[in-house]
Amino acid sequence: MEVWEKAYIKDSKFLESNHGMVGCVICHGGDSSVEEKETAHQGIVIDPSEEGCNTCHSDIALLNESSLHTTLSGFMSKLEARGGDLSEGSALDTAFDNHCQQCHTSCGQCHISRPDEMGGGLVSSHVFRKTPSMQNNCIACHGARIGDEYLGSNEGVPGDVHWTQETMTCTACHGQELHGSGAMADDRYSNTAAIGCEDCHEDVWTDTAANPQHEQHIGDLECQICHSLAYKNCSSCHVGLDEEGIPCRTSEPSQILFKIGLNPIRSAERPYKYVVLRHAPTCASTFDYYGPALQPDCDAEPTWKYATPHNIQLRTPQNESCNSCHGNADIFLTEDDVDPAEREANRGVIVIQVPAPQ
Amino acid sequence: MKRLVTAVIGLVLLAAFVAAGCSVPPGPTPGEEVSSCVLCHTDKDLLKQTASVVEEVKSEATTGEG
Repeated sequence: MEVWEKAYIKDSKFLESNHGMVGCVICHGGDSSVEEKETAHQGIVIDPSEEGCNTCHSDIALLNESSLHTTLSGFMSKLEARGGDLSEGSALDTAFDNHCQQCHTSCGQCHISRPDEMGGGLVSSHVFRKTPSMQNNCIACHGARIGDEYLGSNEGVPGDVHWTQETMTCTACHGQELHGSGAMADDRYSNTAAIGCEDCHEDVWTDTAANPQHEQHIGDLECQICHSLAYKNCSSCHVGLDEEGIPCRTSEPSQILFKIGLNPIRSAERPYKYVVLRHAPTCASTFDYYGPALQPDCDAEPTWKYATPHNIQLRTPQNESCNSCHGNADIFLTEDDVDPAEREANRGVIVIQVPAPQ
Repeated sequence: MKRLVTAVIGLVLLAAFVAAGCSVPPGPTPGEEVSSCVLCHTDKDLLKQTASVVEEVKSEATTGEG
């Protein structure tokens, strides 16, 4: 997107809308009565989301204060669990500001423009979109893993049936949960407003007579174990500043893998014994540029984490027969699959005994 | 008597006002305001001419997927 294009209001639809009638300076400041550019832009607020939206949308704005998009508490909780010190001014806090904070998003970066991290720019001539654009907003940030899986961009792995057959965009499943539940959540799976497969596919609980696999496994296996395909796993992400002081990062090439392990977050809502695990990009030395051992207790959190790959299929290699899984060590996360430096951290998710063949 | 005089004066003034074709000049109403913001940001050519070149602050040292 060219610089001029990012601020170009192509058609008058926005100007005729309720938001357009408010007038520019009410939200953005500046001086609309002068023509000289520099003077007109004095005091301009490019993204007035923080102060502007809650004037009229206080209910959603209040709820949104608990959203992971706002709080980034998903990152924080994992770093703190690994003994990280995020107090103001600490080395890890500086690293967090330089790198993790980029994932914070505002109201406007979902409903009006592309996210800052992607360079910003109006999506639809400043028209406020109640439903964000899947391509320009959701996948702009969640593209490398979820977006590629959902659209079928990983070589040899088809896209999710919810997309390929039903053309469902992200918000068809992920609605109000994106604004949070009102309670602080440690990660997306502890958001009580999050949707689950069974919310739409209620019949999985009742069709067990016709479906012996459901009869056998429901409640014990996460749905994705039988209904998702191989997915992207990243590792060894390292962050720092380059020679010019600009934040940068490096990581190992990603791997397309499918690994079943033990559920690290077993609960009443997620009672499954076995789940699909994805390797998070992190490692013990991720923040070493900023100081030694900034995650001193890094074995406290697994690096293979609970996952919900977005490439759902009715038929998969795993559900072809019982022995597609039973006795098939290749699809289970065993000790040999885990980097020796990370084995202790993943002790609770590694499968010791692969289920015997039937 | 006083009230009658006041009413007559009022009517005469109103008639004169209408006859002169006076009306309150229309002020800008929300949505109809033509501000310099709108004039510039809806004019592609003007925007192209005046847009500042913003240097991307992305590091070339970044590798791998985000």
